[in-house]
Amino acid sequence: MRRTAPLSLAMIALLGLSACGSGDTGAGGSLQGEGSGADCTIPGPVPVGAALSLTGAAGSYGESQRNGLELAAAHLNEQGGVTYELTVEDDQTDERQGITLFEQFTDDGVSAIIGPTLSTTAFQAQPIAQDAGVPVVAISNTADGITEQGEYIHRVSLTEGQVIPQTVAAVTESEDLENVVVMYSDDDAFTESGYEVFAQALEDEGVEVAETLTFSVADTDFRPLLTEAAKAEPDAVIVSALIEAAIPLVTQAREIGLDVPIVGGNGFNNPQLMTDAGEAAEGVVVGAAWNSAATQNELNTDFLAAYEAEYGKAPDQFAAQAYTGLMTIDAAVRAECSGEPEAIKDGLGTIDGLDTVLGSLTINDARDAEHEAVVQVVTDGEFVALD
Amino acid sequence: MQQLLNGLFVGSIYALFAIGFTLVFGILDRLNLAHPSVFAASAFIGIELVEVAGLPWWAALPAVAVVGGVLGLVVERVAFRPLKGRADAHFAGLISSIALGGMIIALLQWRYGPDTRRFPAGTFPDGQLELLGARFTILQAAILVISVVLMVALAWLVARSRLGRAMRAVAENPTAARVLGVDVDRVTATTFAISAALGAVAGALFAMNVNSAQLGMGSAIELKGLAVIIVGGMGSLPGALVGGLLLGVAEVLAVQYIGSSWRDLVAFALLFGLLILRPQGIFGSRRLREV
Amino acid sequence: MFTDSTLLFVALSGIFAFSFYAVLVAGQLSLGQAGFAALAAYTSAVLAPDPAEAGDAVTLAVALGTGVVVGAVAAVLLGLPTMRLRGVFLAIATLGFAEAVRILLVNAEWTGGAQGMSVPKIVTPGVAWVLLAVVAYLFWRQGPTRYGRALAAIREDELAARATGIDVGAHRLAAFVTAGAVSGAYGALLAFTMRFIDPGLFDFASAIDGLVMAVVGGSTVWFGPVLGGAFLTLVPELQRAVGLEAGWIRPFLAGLLLLAVILFRPGGLASFFPAGRGTRPLSRVQASGARGDTAADDGPGAPGGSGADTNPAGANLAGTVQASVQPHRRRAQVGAGDVVARLAGVSKDYGGVHALRGVDLELRAGEIVGLIGPNGAGKTTCVNILSGLVPPSGGAVEVLGIDPVRTPVHRVAAAGVARTFQHAKLFGRLSVLDNVLAGAHLVTRGTFLRRLLWLPSARWDERAAVVHATACLERVGIADKAGLAAGELSYGDQRRVEIARALAADPALLILDEPAAGMNRVEAAALGDLITSLASDGLTILLIEHDVGLVMRTCDRITVLDFGAVIASGDPAHVRDHPDVVTAYLGTEAD
Repeated sequence: MRRTAPLSLAMIALLGLSACGSGDTGAGGSLQGEGSGADCTIPGPVPVGAALSLTGAAGSYGESQRNGLELAAAHLNEQGGVTYELTVEDDQTDERQGITLFEQFTDDGVSAIIGPTLSTTAFQAQPIAQDAGVPVVAISNTADGITEQGEYIHRVSLTEGQVIPQTVAAVTESEDLENVVVMYSDDDAFTESGYEVFAQALEDEGVEVAETLTFSVADTDFRPLLTEAAKAEPDAVIVSALIEAAIPLVTQAREIGLDVPIVGGNGFNNPQLMTDAGEAAEGVVVGAAWNSAATQNELNTDFLAAYEAEYGKAPDQFAAQAYTGLMTIDAAVRAECSGEPEAIKDGLGTIDGLDTVLGSLTINDARDAEHEAVVQVVTDGEFVALD
Repeated sequence: MQQLLNGLFVGSIYALFAIGFTLVFGILDRLNLAHPSVFAASAFIGIELVEVAGLPWWAALPAVAVVGGVLGLVVERVAFRPLKGRADAHFAGLISSIALGGMIIALLQWRYGPDTRRFPAGTFPDGQLELLGARFTILQAAILVISVVLMVALAWLVARSRLGRAMRAVAENPTAARVLGVDVDRVTATTFAISAALGAVAGALFAMNVNSAQLGMGSAIELKGLAVIIVGGMGSLPGALVGGLLLGVAEVLAVQYIGSSWRDLVAFALLFGLLILRPQGIFGSRRLREV
Repeated sequence: MFTDSTLLFVALSGIFAFSFYAVLVAGQLSLGQAGFAALAAYTSAVLAPDPAEAGDAVTLAVALGTGVVVGAVAAVLLGLPTMRLRGVFLAIATLGFAEAVRILLVNAEWTGGAQGMSVPKIVTPGVAWVLLAVVAYLFWRQGPTRYGRALAAIREDELAARATGIDVGAHRLAAFVTAGAVSGAYGALLAFTMRFIDPGLFDFASAIDGLVMAVVGGSTVWFGPVLGGAFLTLVPELQRAVGLEAGWIRPFLAGLLLLAVILFRPGGLASFFPAGRGTRPLSRVQASGARGDTAADDGPGAPGGSGADTNPAGANLAGTVQASVQPHRRRAQVGAGDVVARLAGVSKDYGGVHALRGVDLELRAGEIVGLIGPNGAGKTTCVNILSGLVPPSGGAVEVLGIDPVRTPVHRVAAAGVARTFQHAKLFGRLSVLDNVLAGAHLVTRGTFLRRLLWLPSARWDERAAVVHATACLERVGIADKAGLAAGELSYGDQRRVEIARALAADPALLILDEPAAGMNRVEAAALGDLITSLASDGLTILLIEHDVGLVMRTCDRITVLDFGAVIASGDPAHVRDHPDVVTAYLGTEAD
């Protein structure tokens, strides 16, 4: 009873503010433009919503993605003709929030939605956009079946199924693999599906798997598992894990004297691997959709410079894919010179050989992205393409 | 042998984390769920101390302990003291410490961003030792030693010192302790500070050991810590040490003999079995209830 | 301003919060609800037919049914071994269970492991809110019933609840199974809401969310969980609506808000609303009706039934009890002069300390026996042995034809033993009236199921119970404070409420452990009169008291304990002059 005032005030403030907060949707201006391609001009800004995990377990990915998107929006708006009103929202790595955000975006009438960060949330949230007829561009979902959810769901991120077989084939050839140990975190959808692709690819290449070890996404001490792995005397250790686990895993493997090549999936593709694991990262092979050094084109160099200038650090794959996501939407908008959802959806279907920081990007009939993946090996603290 | 040692090293971290947890529970009968946040915070702050201030590890660890102690005082002051005398203090304390823990993590994200961070290479002298054919780093050995030393020091403190006597009096009966002239508030605050200081040292050592500090590192170890204090006996300091080591070894053995997917089940099977068979834990003693 | 799914999640969160509320009202802290929900979600997703063929309604019904059953069965299986654990121990054991379930789901084939499982979406906000209403209704009706009060009594003081005849184990298990069933319903609903389920939906954090919602909403008022669920779901919405920048600031403010609520609103958000807390006391007119009934001097026609007018004029409390609730009385009748309780050669050791050494004591029906002795003489130990709370180390005990050593405490109470405690053990947050109603547990009929159906007989029973309890309060002279929270009363008043609570069980043997402590001389004198009048109604009374004068005035016989042994026994005059007693009490005998 005695000290209710502060809280009551806080609640009133929240309620009051929230009342004014809503209702400013639908910025003025038509979304129907004139001209075509580079000359296309649309009077109103095209509203694009992005539902990302900025806080919570996947917070580090979401942050990179937001940076990539905001950089892309800045570049596009500078370029003119078509401007974008980008709304980045946080799903707190909570599925419920993801669903709510998608619903809010469709209710607010955005023209396209980017996200969500995690594949599990994608299965829960993207059907809402599908039902509402709003095109979605997934920028980090790698699970199978994402785009099968409907004709409005697209992605610019390569699936594990596209990257990993290439990686495995390349390593098998260069390292003469016969006998490997596979490790993965089994309580995460991304790493588990990555594992499945690895297992299949290894079987296709005729490599024997001596042992399969699992851990939890939150684990950071891998010594017992690595000791177990070392007993099998493998030619290589294949790992499907997120970057949080990758760095301690690589460091500890070297520490206990396991010096064979370590092969990782998308999760390993992060500049942090070299900065933080240092020498231990030498010889780690990573297959990925994008890499700062391996993708050599002018767009990529500009992107790297701009990102460094803006955020003071090198971009990772998530930032690059996010950047590409909005750029792809822009290409789709310009294709029909319209910011309407239906037009963007049609436009996305026409993306073929678009120049992006990821390389030449095509969206195929299954609405999945196709572009070249890079297989790279850490040499002298840099990612270098594996020959 | 190698695996046994691995288990002991993993276990010593569990123990160090759990000792702080169990101290507050044993003496104040409160579960402080902000403890994992202090664990994470101290790792990040420790990294900053080494990176920016350039402290060597032997200076950084005590500094982290002090920072942890201060955080402990804040936790006690903000999340627990206002609840004193409330009928629902038990549940309310859980919630308030969760809330405060969430705020600490949010502040960490503000200060350090969501990315994984780590101590600069070479913070702790590199080097490998060998014992009976098993290899381990100097750091791992140091962690085991530090855990045991801190535990012994704390047990001595509680058993012998003036402060320890006051702590035990408060544990026995706060009202009676107050009548006997013990400053219950001060003892409570001190207990929180010591507990958090231990948690802080555990956090920094953990981050050094696995070369990674994440915002979620506390919640990852939280469940294990709970299992350890149950296994060892709520409020029992030697129990926390033995329980921690036991859990570490049991997990490693599970990896070896059952399969790594079932490793995490070990903690809970151990916990569950013990609760059913011996609720007071290995070292705990049943408290007599006054009628 | 909010989307459909926000409304949907508010309702779902509310249901989940109720599953925590279900055990919190009984003072239990369980975190296993996420495990129950997970099992229910996966099972119902597998078993329920495809809505495209069977129709949404059928699918939903099958899913919900499956969910409730799976949740309840899991709760029984988990509850049987864990129900004896208390507080944090139970919380951690159940948490361990939930984590084990999650690991099983991750490793199982049929669940799709970490990659989850697709489930059709059929739950609409309307459905969710209807179900929330059903669950809320259940708990709303549960509150003021015999069952609801028993749970509240267990929450407030488990020992006292057992001593008033409440079967704590059965009630705890019932509450736990309720929690299991409700979280099972939540799990099934969630599965058919999310389109896609994975083990991460049911992790530790989700259990913590459920607990936070229940406590923040208010864990003693039935609509608390709805408020808590809404609060936790809407905070991020509000922050978004306000336009706060996403990122660290939002979790920080959410934590701050939570902290503010828990620190400054002890009763949770529900305490913002003036809710009907506890059973309403009788109005003045009704109360005087109860009084008239008690005195029965209105003769025939007094409300309360046929028993009233067969009592002699000036009939007392025992008459009322018989009149209003006789059909449910369970204990055997005791004839005048029969032995009610007997201790023969009873000893008790506490780890080397001999609390009792070969104590003999016999109580006969209608007697008032005093048990006195210096502090630490073993008086309270005697009482605890008689009421079955403590087993003796040796010797034979018999109370009202049963052996309290081998009988659970609540059965001893059911045999007709009622007691007060040395330090008053009232149900502090319940009203005085509810305390006494909880005391009448043994002599009233369960009303919960009938209240659910609004059967009038439940209301009559509840009314009769209130009349009975009011009469008990009248008897100890405290009826005017019926509506106050027991914990707010003065010490002397708490003593009297405790006696009224003991009387409400219509006992054959009443044990009073230092009832006059904290009373002034006038109050103590009134207490003496009360004790005498109770005995004249046929009640056997064992009185432990430091006020030797009071004991001398009221007791028929007195037994004196010193260092665990009987040093004197006999009528007051004999004991007063006994040399050993004089030595033991040297200088302390006031009058």
